[in-house]
Amino acid sequence: MIEVRGLKKAFAATPVLRGVDLRVDDGEVLALIGRSGCGKTTLLRCINFLEDYDEGEIRLDDHPLWYRTDPDGRRRRVPDQEARRMRQQMGVVFQQYNLFPHMTALENVCLGPRFSQKVPAADALTLGRKLLARVGLADKVDAYPVHLSGGQQQRVAIARALAMRPKVLLLDEITSALDPELVGEVEDVIRSLLPERIMMVLVTHALGFAREIAHRIGYVAGGVIAEIGRPEQILEQPQDATLKDFLRRIR
Amino acid sequence: MTYLGWVTTYGPTYLDALGWTAVIAVLASLGAIVWGCALLLVPLVAGRWGARAVDAYVQVFRNTPVLLPIYLIYFGFPLIGLPWPAAVCGGLALVLQNGAYVSEILRGSVKAIDRVQFDAAKSIGLSPWSAFRKVVLPQVLVYSIPSLGNQVVLLLKDTSLLSAITVTELTMQAKLLTEQTGAAYEAFAVVAVLYLVLVSGTEVLFRAAHRAVRWSR
Amino acid sequence: MNASTLTLLLEGAGVSLALALTSIAPATILGAALTALGFSRFAALRVLYRLYVYVVRGTPLLVLALLIFYALPALDLRTGPYIAGALVLTLYVGALFAEVFRGGVLAIPRPQWESAKSLGLPPAAMLKKVIAPLVVRYTLPPYINVCVMTVKASSVLSIISVWELTLAAREIIERTLAVFTVLGVAAAIYFIMCFGLDRLGRRLERRLMARGFAGEPV
Repeated sequence: MIEVRGLKKAFAATPVLRGVDLRVDDGEVLALIGRSGCGKTTLLRCINFLEDYDEGEIRLDDHPLWYRTDPDGRRRRVPDQEARRMRQQMGVVFQQYNLFPHMTALENVCLGPRFSQKVPAADALTLGRKLLARVGLADKVDAYPVHLSGGQQQRVAIARALAMRPKVLLLDEITSALDPELVGEVEDVIRSLLPERIMMVLVTHALGFAREIAHRIGYVAGGVIAEIGRPEQILEQPQDATLKDFLRRIR
Repeated sequence: MTYLGWVTTYGPTYLDALGWTAVIAVLASLGAIVWGCALLLVPLVAGRWGARAVDAYVQVFRNTPVLLPIYLIYFGFPLIGLPWPAAVCGGLALVLQNGAYVSEILRGSVKAIDRVQFDAAKSIGLSPWSAFRKVVLPQVLVYSIPSLGNQVVLLLKDTSLLSAITVTELTMQAKLLTEQTGAAYEAFAVVAVLYLVLVSGTEVLFRAAHRAVRWSR
Repeated sequence: MNASTLTLLLEGAGVSLALALTSIAPATILGAALTALGFSRFAALRVLYRLYVYVVRGTPLLVLALLIFYALPALDLRTGPYIAGALVLTLYVGALFAEVFRGGVLAIPRPQWESAKSLGLPPAAMLKKVIAPLVVRYTLPPYINVCVMTVKASSVLSIISVWELTLAAREIIERTLAVFTVLGVAAAIYFIMCFGLDRLGRRLERRLMARGFAGEPV
């Protein structure tokens, strides 16, 4: 379970997140939508501490992440080693340039288990092959990213994230940069993960897909979660004025 | 003697040498740019053979150290009846060497500039020569300003090599002062600072020129 | 041009090549260290990097060489011109490599950094398995360029009496006045060395490209 409390962040003088409160339960799929620049990606990146935040707290299974409070009440960043362990519990897939171009698909997938989790090489390779087969790329284990299509690369990226056995998957607009005909194969992989009840937070513009797989959709605007609820509620009976506007523009 | 004392005593001597460095650098830079343009235009008048000749020329100068042409002209010209002053010999060598690099820079810019411009100019009746000269070349020069600035800085630093053929520019002056007074550190430290000033000044100049020309487009 | 002159020139070429190659290795290490400084989280170290590169690139190599050449005896380090020459070349080329490596690091797309971080890779593994290979592949062409420049730069050391190809040629000219032939041959030898190095580099590049990485962000 992920809990975000009072998250605030400003870039230089511009506030981007103005106190976000959020809770994602185990096995839940949460989609974050909103206009460009509304802060949904920033929020995702703060959860993984790829962005530092100014105020607020993030907890995973009730353990505070990234910052610790001193006995005298001061906020202190956790040491790097601990931060790394925290990161290993989250899998991230970016919009593009995920894969390391100098490694094969298999090497990309096995990199995390081998060097972060110290899994022995043979076990890591078996796991890697299994996951690549799982995302439909068993025949591409030795291919380099340059020989893979955008959709295939994203699928390998998902396999790589899964290889770490994370508690949550963070997906940042993973189909936005793809040619339309490649979007389907990536969405299929995500669908196939649903039965395993992995916690997922995805930032997306694909409202149709979000409606299909998300348990809840959160609309980010003005630096907070302006509205959150079940897909049917959000997409068909929006309350927030800006959300209504947003949906109208997208349709 | 303190550094300050050194500077006040020998300042004027440096100034003289600084003048030489600056003059040679400026004239050689202009020469190199003109020569580079000429090299660029050779293929237009001499076709494939011209292009190959220029390419060979550029390859030769890119793969040999600049001291060789300097020595060649300084030692060789008197033997063929051209006993030119050392500074001129050195300057000519710098022009020939850097002209090769300039032509490469310009060629890169030409590729980057829209071919449409060239075709448009030809279609209103300009000969290829005029089209190139009046339409493409000015744009190419503007686009090349940053890279040309880099090249000028390199040329500026290469003027120090003319000390090997007795031209009294900055480096030579430092050597002379060292032999005179034995104060090597001071002599060369001051010269190093002067070069840094010249180099920075040149860079600032070119950046300003680039901005000025961009605005006027 | 007789056989003994040619032999002399070839010996000089051997020295030039040796000087260049024995400077390139330590210069690479120096360059990598400087690049790391340039990305340090301590502002003072970053300033140190900027300063070093500014001074070394803004001063002619000859002036740096003369400074070291005269400065070393003053520090009571009596070494021959070769050590002084190799030292200067290393310090100079190190700055060039630093700028090349810096460009390589900056060329790595942000998601690659973040993927490595998200996988929780320890810094050593991240450097060895991700950053270093990427930087090498991005910087191979400019790296080879700098290597070629080092061979050409070694000729400047002739002025501080390091005996190598250029000095050999000059001495022969001052003796025999066979300016054009001697310098022609010297130029040809430099050309072969530099052009050859460049070709070698291109072949290395092609090998890397065959492994699937075209040197550009995928």
